[in-house]
Amino acid sequence: MSTPTNAELVARWKAEPAPLLPLLHAFHDRDGHLSDEALREVSAALRMPLADLFGTVSFYHHFARFPPGASAPRVCTGPVCRLLGGEELLDAMRKHGATPMACAGRCDEPVPVLTAHDVHVGLAADALERRPSPLPVPNPGGLPECVFESIREPGRATLDGYRRSGGYEALSAALGGSPDAVIDALKDSGLAGRGGAGFPTGVKWRAVADETRGPKTIVCNADEGEPGCFKDRVLMDHDPHAVLEGMALAGFATGAATGFIYLRYEYPETHAILERAIAEAEAAGMLGDAIGGTTFAFRIHVRRGAGAYICGEEGSLLNSLEGKHPFPRERPPFPVSHGYDDLPTVVNNVETLASVPPIVRRGGDWYRGLGLGDHAGTKLISLSGDIERPGNYEVPIGLPLRTLLHDWAGGAPGGRLIQAVTMAGISGGFLAGDDLEVTLDEPSVRAAHSMLGAGGIMVFDDTRDMVAVAHSCMEFFAHESCGKCFPCRIGTQRLTERLATAAGAAGPAQLGDWRAEVEDIGAVMKATSACGLGMAAPLVTESLLRYWPERVAAHVASRAT
Amino acid sequence: MSVIEDRTTAELQIDGETVVFSPVETLLAVARRHRREVPTLCYDPRLDPFGGCRLCVVELEGVRNPVASCARAAEPGMVVRTHGEALDKHRKTLLEMVCSENRQIDVEPLSGYASQELAELADRYQARTGRFQGRQSGKSKQDDDNPFILRDYDQCISCYRCVRVCAEQEGDYAISVKNRGFDTQITVEFDGLLKDSSCTFCGQCVQTCPTGALADRKALRAVDLPGEVVKTRTICTYCGVGCSVDALTKGDKLVGIQPAMDGPANQGALCIKGQYAFDFVQHEDRLSTPLMRGDDGELHPASWDDALDRAAQGFLDARDKHGRHSVYAVASGRAPHEAAYTTQRFIRAGFWTNHIDNCSRA
Repeated sequence: MSTPTNAELVARWKAEPAPLLPLLHAFHDRDGHLSDEALREVSAALRMPLADLFGTVSFYHHFARFPPGASAPRVCTGPVCRLLGGEELLDAMRKHGATPMACAGRCDEPVPVLTAHDVHVGLAADALERRPSPLPVPNPGGLPECVFESIREPGRATLDGYRRSGGYEALSAALGGSPDAVIDALKDSGLAGRGGAGFPTGVKWRAVADETRGPKTIVCNADEGEPGCFKDRVLMDHDPHAVLEGMALAGFATGAATGFIYLRYEYPETHAILERAIAEAEAAGMLGDAIGGTTFAFRIHVRRGAGAYICGEEGSLLNSLEGKHPFPRERPPFPVSHGYDDLPTVVNNVETLASVPPIVRRGGDWYRGLGLGDHAGTKLISLSGDIERPGNYEVPIGLPLRTLLHDWAGGAPGGRLIQAVTMAGISGGFLAGDDLEVTLDEPSVRAAHSMLGAGGIMVFDDTRDMVAVAHSCMEFFAHESCGKCFPCRIGTQRLTERLATAAGAAGPAQLGDWRAEVEDIGAVMKATSACGLGMAAPLVTESLLRYWPERVAAHVASRAT
Repeated sequence: MSVIEDRTTAELQIDGETVVFSPVETLLAVARRHRREVPTLCYDPRLDPFGGCRLCVVELEGVRNPVASCARAAEPGMVVRTHGEALDKHRKTLLEMVCSENRQIDVEPLSGYASQELAELADRYQARTGRFQGRQSGKSKQDDDNPFILRDYDQCISCYRCVRVCAEQEGDYAISVKNRGFDTQITVEFDGLLKDSSCTFCGQCVQTCPTGALADRKALRAVDLPGEVVKTRTICTYCGVGCSVDALTKGDKLVGIQPAMDGPANQGALCIKGQYAFDFVQHEDRLSTPLMRGDDGELHPASWDDALDRAAQGFLDARDKHGRHSVYAVASGRAPHEAAYTTQRFIRAGFWTNHIDNCSRA
């Protein structure tokens, strides 16, 4: 196949919805980087100011502007990979042009190395292999599941495999009824946003359905960038049709004909799986025009991000889709009324959407009943770090954390003790000591000054230096801060500097002054940041100071010398 | 519910006081209209709300975190607090953080219209404490030697007013944001020079910059001249738009121009000519008296009466010799309506010809 010309690339994407990212990727894939010439072409084709395009391209970590670009390996140095030798692997691969990347969502099987469209995993440069992402183990508690119920069945990722256990039955049944019935089932189920915000899904869909403006859009947030989170990846890799069916149900319920899956750059295999599943579903009449022989039409487009954690924030995600600079948006207005192209839009997480087909098929009460006590439903937890059996677990909401850590996942390896865990990936900071007695539901975790969020839990045993861990978390936030708002842009930088271990690193030498600065920055970030990144980042320093004040004192003292 | 009804009845509470607002106002606009001192750094009333600096946050009853008042639409029944211990502490901390990222806080007022904003707020909130020391942000573009705009990004606080004014007010889209987080850098395409970008050197970015990171290079030439800077409101002489400007003088010397933010015709906008092309005023080559060519072939100073008589005679001679259509007038685009009107009367009624035009057509 001959190399496509600039004009051919432009012609392929120019008239597509949300064309900027795929057009940039087309040039990036062809050349390995985005040359000046490529930017001029894209600028002219999409009538986008060249200066804006130049600036916005630089926002994305993975868009290379110069060779070797995409062909140079990127090695994960996320918090878990760092524990397991990510930095050593990076050093060993530097002679191949390797550069670091933030957590790439493979914490259950470290260390991922991304080269162009391939992810290899392994702990040594000469022992890297390509492997499909690990399936979850059978539910260790023997409990009923929702999104994982059928994921382990062979061939589940294919249309036939999906249909063998009831796939697309929910959509077919819904099309014979009213959109309101779908929304009512969701409201009954108690399903709430599984990306971490926890907004009731039925209420969101109702709001979009009630909007009179259009066309409306369904956006699946698959930009799973939170360190320690890899649950959406396993759903898309092994049960992609569940996500597609959930999106189609959202389209039917709210009156939208277009859906986007905004997929993080670091999941190239997932991209191929999704595209294949969409093609299968279209061929079978479950996506596209006249779905199931009705007048309902719904198309799904995959849009690949380019390496920016903030694009998991829905305002940034929408700006990124639209080809704008990916800053978060001021809210209100919310996406339900002013989302994609400023029109009514459902933005839901992968797990939320994958939960919808089983709920519609089996009823809201069934899902509600999966939770423990008064809690409705289940939550996927990505468990990683110093734990015997890392991986994804579907837990009933309300399950004690200790049950998951010890009974389900085997506790810390080598007979060591669990010193601390993170919550919400790293956005909930740390839990330690008596706070490890929480149950896995927002009220319980929030009572411990943290949050369950997207459900990533990293485990640190009693040999780990929590100041160093906190530093690597804050370094991530500083690296990913978008730069829009002052408290986050400056705050993440200053907190990172204060957690740095080098002697003479910036920050007060006296413990009292050090604490006052860190606490004041944290307070202003939590209260005034423009989005969740800046509000969450100080939970890291807050919990560090709460659980390990003497370690902090030693840290400050060691820097002063 | 009609919009008109809304307009007459919409009320909210600010710091315990019930006030009336119009439905298009933001909380910041309502607060400032009622003389609340709400600090801002990323705000320029001509631009779309942005919500970057977060200094304008106010407490809104029923909402957990303070909200950015510049970006929040006023709604009936809102209960708003613009000041309080917590808010003032946040603002002071934010300003201390901002101060920590710049080389210096005090900058020369000749830098630009808004250049004192950071220094004034740092004083008002007593934020010059030296806290939060660490790496500084922004890198100056020292190789850009254009004569108009100093790009001293060491002083940049990433408020993006320059980027936004360039896009929203000027429509030039010359300036953009590179990188992210603390590595954010204001730039142009391919990190180049302004002259190679789509910049028109209108100077709007300079005048909205709150820290002097973008500064008026021409005005800064006068830093060492003795005397205070005096601002005199006048109208730009370049074209018929009639932009209001403040002429900056030191002694009897014109040293710079700043746009008048309250100018009815321009609301702070200017073009490169109005902003920077004032050197002719005191240029040594500028004519300050009429000149008439003498019998010796040289130009000699003359009175206005003599010069006008000579010019009139020239016109009449041409008409008598070549007919009424031998005269053609092009009125200056810089002239006001009244002068343009007088010119066409002079040509049509004086010479009986329609040979009249205006350079603005070119």
